[in-house]
Amino acid sequence: MSKKIGDVILDLQNISLRFGGVKALTDISFDVREHEIRSIIGPNGAGKSSMLNVINGVYHPQDGKIFWHGQERRKMEPHMAAQQNIARTFQNIALFKGMSVLDNIMTGRITKMKSNFIEHALWFGRAKNEELEHRRKVEEVIDFLEIQHIRKTPVGRLPYGLQKRVELGRALAAEPSMLLLDEPMAGMNVEEKQDMCRFILDVNDQFGTTIVLIEHDMGVVMDISDRVVVLDYGKKIGDGLPDDVKNNEDVIRAYLGAGH
Amino acid sequence: MLYREAGQFKTTYAADQQLFPIRQDRIGVITLLLIAFIGVPLFASEYWFSAILIPFLIFFLAALGLNILTGYAGQLSLGSAAFMAVGAYAAYNFQLRIEGIPILISFLCGGLTAAAVGILFGLPSLRIKGFYLAVATLAAQFFIVWCLTKFPWLSNNSSSGVISTQQLIIFGHELKTPTEKYLLVLSIVVVLALAAKNLVRSSTGRAWMAVRDMDVAASVIGIRLMPTKLLAFAISSFYCGVAGALYAFCYLGSVEPDGFSLDMSFKILFMIIIGGVGSIMGSFLGAAFILLLPILLDVLLPFFAGLFGLPFSSATVSHIQILIFGALIMFFLIVEPHGLARLWQITKEKLRLWPFPH
Ligand SMILES: Nc1ncnc2c1ncn2[C@@H]1O[C@H](COP(=O)(O)OP(=O)(O)OP(=O)(O)O)[C@@H](O)[C@H]1O
Ligand SMILES: [Mg+2]
Repeated sequence: MSKKIGDVILDLQNISLRFGGVKALTDISFDVREHEIRSIIGPNGAGKSSMLNVINGVYHPQDGKIFWHGQERRKMEPHMAAQQNIARTFQNIALFKGMSVLDNIMTGRITKMKSNFIEHALWFGRAKNEELEHRRKVEEVIDFLEIQHIRKTPVGRLPYGLQKRVELGRALAAEPSMLLLDEPMAGMNVEEKQDMCRFILDVNDQFGTTIVLIEHDMGVVMDISDRVVVLDYGKKIGDGLPDDVKNNEDVIRAYLGAGH
Repeated sequence: MLYREAGQFKTTYAADQQLFPIRQDRIGVITLLLIAFIGVPLFASEYWFSAILIPFLIFFLAALGLNILTGYAGQLSLGSAAFMAVGAYAAYNFQLRIEGIPILISFLCGGLTAAAVGILFGLPSLRIKGFYLAVATLAAQFFIVWCLTKFPWLSNNSSSGVISTQQLIIFGHELKTPTEKYLLVLSIVVVLALAAKNLVRSSTGRAWMAVRDMDVAASVIGIRLMPTKLLAFAISSFYCGVAGALYAFCYLGSVEPDGFSLDMSFKILFMIIIGGVGSIMGSFLGAAFILLLPILLDVLLPFFAGLFGLPFSSATVSHIQILIFGALIMFFLIVEPHGLARLWQITKEKLRLWPFPH
């Protein structure tokens, strides 16, 4: 791969997260470099989704430090992650069911809109121009993901694979510098997976977006990741290049043990 | 093929983002406005204005307010009537206590006062959802009505809190006839309905719907839940407040706190359930339906009873009304949660294809 991988932009140190007695994450450290595709793998319940939730402030770890662009991050609310240009998709699709594809993707740009509700009510001042300007950006995302034909469809009516794609679109609309993807290909057929892979690689390639990816399909992970971290029961058991991880004894054991 | 968008190609995003992108809708709305502003005043009787059209417009406004909060922002409220009361009493007090304040400014201030109270009672929504929030707004309903009865200052020391509203003077002209009052109410309602339509198609509306549909995803996108929910409470209460002021000043002329009862809050809630939750059109249809149905039944039931020679008292009529309401509400909750507006939508989709079935 010819792309340039940059410096560490996100550094997690000794993160521990508990829910009552359940230890979701125990003393985990790993980092993410600019422009790379960093995968998190592990059996069910290993703590992968929790990791993403820690990164964007949905969960607050009891122990550990997080550095973002070299600065230690204080306790953060989810909406602040968006302001820092971190976008994500969810394991269970989290689209806004009552809205059209277009409106869902438009919400992705909400932090970039400056007009206030009075301007909206009167459709006056910045309101109208902003709406147009952001619509143009959103249409670029729609073209990129090849979903022009379903723009006006309520998302609830779409098949699963397309919903996943729309959710990616909503995240991309924010023009994130870091994109967190929680099992974007789960439940997809081979063709849909190929499309999704292509989109992820294109995003990474064309926009230089750093990607943190959770995925169960080992073929895909080994193919597209720059580095892989492996979790099991909330602990880190492997970290490195795809090939190194593949041959790591602990990893093989965890996966065989979990019946994969 | 009377109603369709085929052939109306949008060449710019601006054209696609118009208030009413489909030409027939535009024509429909303009026709409706012309009828409302010019046709109706020419033909309707006084009875129609004061007993049907004015209350219909006012309840449409209140239902719109509730729909913003419940339908768009997903926060259930059982306190709409109380917020109307706040608007009515506040407008009355502004008129009473500020020398020479124009009546429209009083209405505006009534709405703003209701908005402030709405924010206050919206605070629990930051912690609780759904059923529990509904109970909290129920507390608002009782507390506000209680306050208005308890503190005589609010009703200028009148007995049991009854207020008689001041004259309606606009630009030196006193509005006396039902027609004039109707036109005033209509103008205010049209302006506020257009503003609501603009709000819900902008990023304000999208933020509300996002919070309604999936609040975790909304916050991850960068929507701050607290201001978004409180704004919905404020604007919703503003609409209810203005509706309340109009209810007192242009409809009844004299109101008491107990008039803004829980029954009335439920009536407004039923309007949006039957009309359509999350739809401006739904508030309109729902208000029309709930206000017109009793009038219709009043006429029809005795007629049919007479036909079959059954004895019929007015008490029976009102019991049957309640039965029919109950049945309809269950029907809409179970079969068509999006209400009349959705049925209207389906009809339009069919019309779009008509006369071809596919
Ligand atoms: N909000 C929560 N409250 C309580 N426990 C939680 C919560 N979120 C996660 N957990 C627990 O933390 C552990 C890790 O869950 P997590 O969802 O991070 O796993 P995962 O690796 O994403 O698994 P999967 O492959 O099934 O998605 C599990 O035991 C889970 O039950
Ligand atoms: Mg998970």
